[in-house]
Amino acid sequence: MSQALSPSTPSRPLSRRGIERLDLMLLCTEALDFNGGEAMVWMSQHLGYGELFPNRVELWKRRCHNPLRRACRRGSLDSTETDALIRILCTMADRLYPMLRGLLSTAEAPEVIDQRWQLFQSRLADLLRERMNPRRSSVQTLLDSQTGHRQRRAMVQTLALGAGPGGFERLRACLMDGGA
Amino acid sequence: MKQTLVYGQQSCRLQLEGLPDVSAGQAGDALGIITSWTLVWAGRPELEGRREHLVALINVVLPYARYLMSGVARPFGEPDQPIEIAPAGPGDHLLRLRSSESGVEPLEVHLDDAELADLVRVLDALRLDPRLHLQPPLSEPLVQPLRRRELLQAEPLARRLAAPVGGLAAVALTAGLSALAPLPAPVPSRTATPASPAPSAPAGLPPQRTAMPQPPLGLDAAKPAPGTPTSATPSGLPLTAPGPASPPSGLTPASQGPKTSSAADRLAPAGGPSALPDAPIPPPRTLFPPTPPPVPAARP
Repeated sequence: MSQALSPSTPSRPLSRRGIERLDLMLLCTEALDFNGGEAMVWMSQHLGYGELFPNRVELWKRRCHNPLRRACRRGSLDSTETDALIRILCTMADRLYPMLRGLLSTAEAPEVIDQRWQLFQSRLADLLRERMNPRRSSVQTLLDSQTGHRQRRAMVQTLALGAGPGGFERLRACLMDGGA
Repeated sequence: MKQTLVYGQQSCRLQLEGLPDVSAGQAGDALGIITSWTLVWAGRPELEGRREHLVALINVVLPYARYLMSGVARPFGEPDQPIEIAPAGPGDHLLRLRSSESGVEPLEVHLDDAELADLVRVLDALRLDPRLHLQPPLSEPLVQPLRRRELLQAEPLARRLAAPVGGLAAVALTAGLSALAPLPAPVPSRTATPASPAPSAPAGLPPQRTAMPQPPLGLDAAKPAPGTPTSATPSGLPLTAPGPASPPSGLTPASQGPKTSSAADRLAPAGGPSALPDAPIPPPRTLFPPTPPPVPAARP
């Protein structure tokens, strides 16, 4: 059930920076959903990417092209694989949209919102320490509770604006920024 | 026959009313002609408009969201257009709606990130609804990767200038420190070049010191006296032993001290200066320094 790509955006592989952002946003969905890893595999089967990602190991191997990973794989992903990962990310963001919205909303009490951000930051930091190379400055910035807040908020906002079927083109174009 | 399509999110709800275009052969559940639309916000005034207002809303909000995802918060919409959106601070977005009626002040709606995301999802649902058969269809928002220049403009000026200013400061600091360091002493050239005949030095000046020993000036210098200790550097440069009569240049003047066979004599061509006392023969110009001949036995 692989959906057709829009002709408005050329289909081309992502740059290393794009893969890095894509994997970090997938990590954010895992931080928001304790069963995120299983949900991704289930989502890939549901979206018709069973041949591309037959199991979670294949999915993990594609995500390991992120240069920030502890065990980083060389080479690049082709456009079919990156489009499938972006589609999975959009569907995951759509599934988690109420939580994303709860983080971004200002309608509730500031203490409640701060507590949500602290929980999210704590869970994301655990995942970052477990999987990413802590010597990279980007990882250190994300791990920092103060300086990394702007980046974490930007990722959550990107996920919220890219959620659902309408967000796929926006999210793919966003990951291809800068002539990537 | 009247059709109503509703797209809702937590903070807003868009209701579209219209009719199927029977002349185009549309089914009864389709919507081909928009008669009115209503956007209801929680706790805010209700917005109404015609099709052109809805098109303007889509053309402004979706590109704004696209740029926001790349970290570029820039306004969209012109002052002469019915809808305009611009960033109004961190996590705050200002939607300005102008009425087509004269004398009505523009309506300003402040949205936070969550409300903007709700509006984007509502507009996406409307745009991708298969029941909507508008003629002409709604324009597809341009979704393209941003250029590097557009991304750079989003960064603060201080951050953009940090790298080049830091580089220039490092270069200036290195240049200043290297200018303070003392210059190294000149090292004599180790490669002997074929020396042209030394120009006749003016009277009173010490003889010129060259890598290739030059025959001393004057007839007396061509006949060295024995007994003067000489030494040679690895480069073949003869050096006289230090003595009280030695000039500062280290070369023994022709008229001073006990005479000895100097290297100048050893390297002098056959029939040297003594053969042609008035016009000394210049040494040959060779690519490599000539091999010094064996040292003759000192004359008694």
